[in-house]
Amino acid sequence: MHFVVCAKQIPDPETPPSAFKIDESTNTVVPAQGFQPVLSQYDGIAAEAALQIKEALGDEAKITVLSVGAESAQAAIKQVLAMGADEGVLLQDDAFEGGDSHTTAKVLAAAISNLGDVDAIFCGRQAADWDVGQVGLLVAEALGWPAAILAKGVEISDGSMKTTRVMADGFETVSQALPAVVTVSNEFGEPRYPKLQQIMQAAKKTVTTMTHDQLGLDPSEVGSSGARLKLEKLYIPQSDSQVEIIDGETPEEQATNLIAKLVADKVL
Amino acid sequence: MADESSIQNNRLQSQLIGKWWMPAIALSLGGLYLAMQFSSPEGAGRESFFNVAHPWSVYVFMASLVSLLVYGLVRHATLWRLGKDTPESVFANLPHRLKNVFRLGVAQDKVRRDRYAAVMHWSISSSIIVLTLVTAQVAIEDDTPLNFLHGPYYLFFSFYGDLFGLIGLIGVGMAMWRRYFVDFSRIRWDERPEDHLIIVGLGLVLLSGFFVEAFRIEVTELTQYPDWAKWSFVSYVLANFFEVFAMNDNQILWSHSAMWWTHIILAFSWLALIVFTRLDHLFFAPINAFLLRTDSPGRLSTIPNIEEQEIFGVGYIQDFSWKQLFELDACVRCGRCTDVCPANIAGQPLSPMHLIQDLKGHLASVGPSIQKIGNEGGDTRSVSPISMVGEVIHDETLWACRTCGACVQECPVMIEHVPTIVDMRRFLVMDEARLPQTAQAALQNIEMRGHPWSGTALERTTWMDGLGDVTIFDGTQDYLYWVGCSGSLVERNLPITKAVFRLLKEAGSSFGVLGQEETCNGDPARRLGNEYLYQILAEQLIGTFKEKNVQKVITNCPHCFNTFKNEYPQFDGHFEVFHHTEFLNSQLQSGALKVQHELPETVTYHDSCYLGRINGVYDAPRQILDFVPGANVQEMQRNMSKGLCCGAGGGNMWQEEVGERRVNHVRSEEAIATGASKVISNCPFCIQMFEDGVPAMHPEEVGRIQPFDVAEILELAVFGNQDNLEEEITEV
Repeated sequence: MHFVVCAKQIPDPETPPSAFKIDESTNTVVPAQGFQPVLSQYDGIAAEAALQIKEALGDEAKITVLSVGAESAQAAIKQVLAMGADEGVLLQDDAFEGGDSHTTAKVLAAAISNLGDVDAIFCGRQAADWDVGQVGLLVAEALGWPAAILAKGVEISDGSMKTTRVMADGFETVSQALPAVVTVSNEFGEPRYPKLQQIMQAAKKTVTTMTHDQLGLDPSEVGSSGARLKLEKLYIPQSDSQVEIIDGETPEEQATNLIAKLVADKVL
Repeated sequence: MADESSIQNNRLQSQLIGKWWMPAIALSLGGLYLAMQFSSPEGAGRESFFNVAHPWSVYVFMASLVSLLVYGLVRHATLWRLGKDTPESVFANLPHRLKNVFRLGVAQDKVRRDRYAAVMHWSISSSIIVLTLVTAQVAIEDDTPLNFLHGPYYLFFSFYGDLFGLIGLIGVGMAMWRRYFVDFSRIRWDERPEDHLIIVGLGLVLLSGFFVEAFRIEVTELTQYPDWAKWSFVSYVLANFFEVFAMNDNQILWSHSAMWWTHIILAFSWLALIVFTRLDHLFFAPINAFLLRTDSPGRLSTIPNIEEQEIFGVGYIQDFSWKQLFELDACVRCGRCTDVCPANIAGQPLSPMHLIQDLKGHLASVGPSIQKIGNEGGDTRSVSPISMVGEVIHDETLWACRTCGACVQECPVMIEHVPTIVDMRRFLVMDEARLPQTAQAALQNIEMRGHPWSGTALERTTWMDGLGDVTIFDGTQDYLYWVGCSGSLVERNLPITKAVFRLLKEAGSSFGVLGQEETCNGDPARRLGNEYLYQILAEQLIGTFKEKNVQKVITNCPHCFNTFKNEYPQFDGHFEVFHHTEFLNSQLQSGALKVQHELPETVTYHDSCYLGRINGVYDAPRQILDFVPGANVQEMQRNMSKGLCCGAGGGNMWQEEVGERRVNHVRSEEAIATGASKVISNCPFCIQMFEDGVPAMHPEEVGRIQPFDVAEILELAVFGNQDNLEEEITEV
């Protein structure tokens, strides 16, 4: 068996609001000083799902981590390698920059085809920066594979993948023939804490880097040139709130005054 | 003002009991003087083995005992030798170690921390020592050319023999009283049959000794030399009592002979208990005092060349150092450690005594097989059928430890529980990657963001808002003011950071801060068992300090203080480190800081473990409070070295507590019980624990005790209660 985990490095979601800046002239997020980019949390959970299946199969599986990103994304790949993944490939190319979900999926699909013998692809339910949640499905689309999204449980046996999906009103269990794609949701559980031995092994591993040439992609179909989505404006919404303390000696009086105020403001 | 009387009492008590040998020497010299004054003692003396058929048999017993002791020692030592070398030589710092043997072994400093036990234990131990010397003198008198047991010395000898026999009986009585007649729980937490055997046996040995002497006196001295007989004052009374039975000389001689054999057999049997029971602490306690670390208890050992290790920390009994294995045998199950353990007090699943005993049992059960397999060159790690970490010692037991050091402080046989617990945590975290979710989150946050406060909305520079110019340290200032993660990223602590800053400025100190460049110094990682992460952070920060030419550091937090002061020297980071209370106190003493405003309130002071017990800074914060006009310090029941942890130590700040209660609720209750209006501490973690615990224990907002840092109190005393102080707290 050969599994792929797609991992994305994102700006730290825990960057304090005061340090989060946007350059409105270029519509880009200004990297906050002192805050390193991190692995998108859902991708860590997807890696956990793949690792649990690998263990259930008696370690008879290989896990490859793929990431589309800058040089710094090596750290995200290493993190998944430390958890127990076997190999890492960084898809790094200036041509890939400025893309959308569609072009990212295209790059990933090309890399997966390039790997050849992949049986299952594990993605996070969405990247925790843009929260779009489309890449997993678009990869499946590009490869012509079945996909199940928002999984809280995944099992693989006898050439098929059984997924328990989180629905708005409950859970749904679906089976799909391999090869298949699954996007894993946070309900699956927490990613593991790597053992030190694995961290040190991961540190010694080399992450392969691939560019559009090696993947056989035309620069015009990926990155900003291939993107179907155009970012018009990126800005931090201004939210104003005005607080008024309602007077009153007793709770009853305060309630009466509050109602009077709400009525006057035509809320009630 | 600090509550002088209770602190003084604490100290006086330890001093008085500490000088137990003074009255003993005075008493003995007095006796000797009186014996010298005695009118006609020249002929005084006795036949050593009076009325004993085969005195040589004593040497048979003696030889058997010595063989047994040697056998016991070899049996124990083969198990200790399974352990690894100690990180540092146990012969380094020899004078200090010898001092420890005297102070902690002979003078029993730790035993004396419990007043009743101090008297009881001294009575018993001094009696055993003196009576052994008494017996040895009889042997020397009889079997060597030396003859000295006559004349005044004989009378004196008779006197102190009886005196210490009586003292021993008093000790045995006190021990029996506590074991059988009062509800004294800690010594019953792990009570075993041998405990009764030891105490009842000793009582019988001492009593039978008096009986032997009384029978002898009755025949040889009572009527012939009544003036000599009186020196054996206990046996004299007993012999007079025996007169009521009106036995003839033969009957008395027969009784004497029978009693002599009973006494000898009892005495040697009792001494043989040393080999089989906890009585072995007779030897192990002073030896463990010698082995006790001579550096700070706040320093954990390093794992050298960590990247080349295969197993991290201790997951198998043979991975402990031989000293750690030796300690297991020294434990006497007195329960003092468990009695003061914050986790145990709150009903959480940790008892340091049981942890040590469980490890001891595990060593005894798997040790011999490990030794055998090891000799055959086999894999010793697969010997134990159960895992030591997880099954013998449960994970939750290890995580409940606050590393507060109370157990280590109290242990009368100098066991160091905390390093042993952290060694097993290291195995859990680095080898097994098995740790509570919340602790994992804290560690990962340190890895990813350089601080443990996941989810904080603050920046490292937020506290500077409204303070005007804040100098960034560049090597030209005298001091680096180290704010720390908790001082900058936890909202409650910002006023403390600001207070220290304003006070340093007011005192005219030359200092700077690192601002954005601060990062976790690794303490939480080390205490939680991730030594690897700690080493990375420590080396990185030491590099930064050296690069910026940092020489002197003032810290906000006692944990940072301990790390810089005691642990960074392990990585060649040598800095002069002050906790803010030490520095601010020196500024008050020198007059650089002046208090101008009254604070007419009753307050209580909470010693943080890492400033107080572990680094011994009890006075500086109290002296600051002494400077505050009007402040009246009401100490809590547990204070100074006996203070109770707030519950946050050892990485428990980031863990869910398991058990009946929360430690901070217990401590908050104790603070509330003083009736003070403020509970003052010196540690951001303690403050946070009180902020959480006090409302839980005192839901009514009116009259609720307020947690304050020493610096915040001093700020009020120096600058007054300015309303704008409140407003400066940044709205986030």
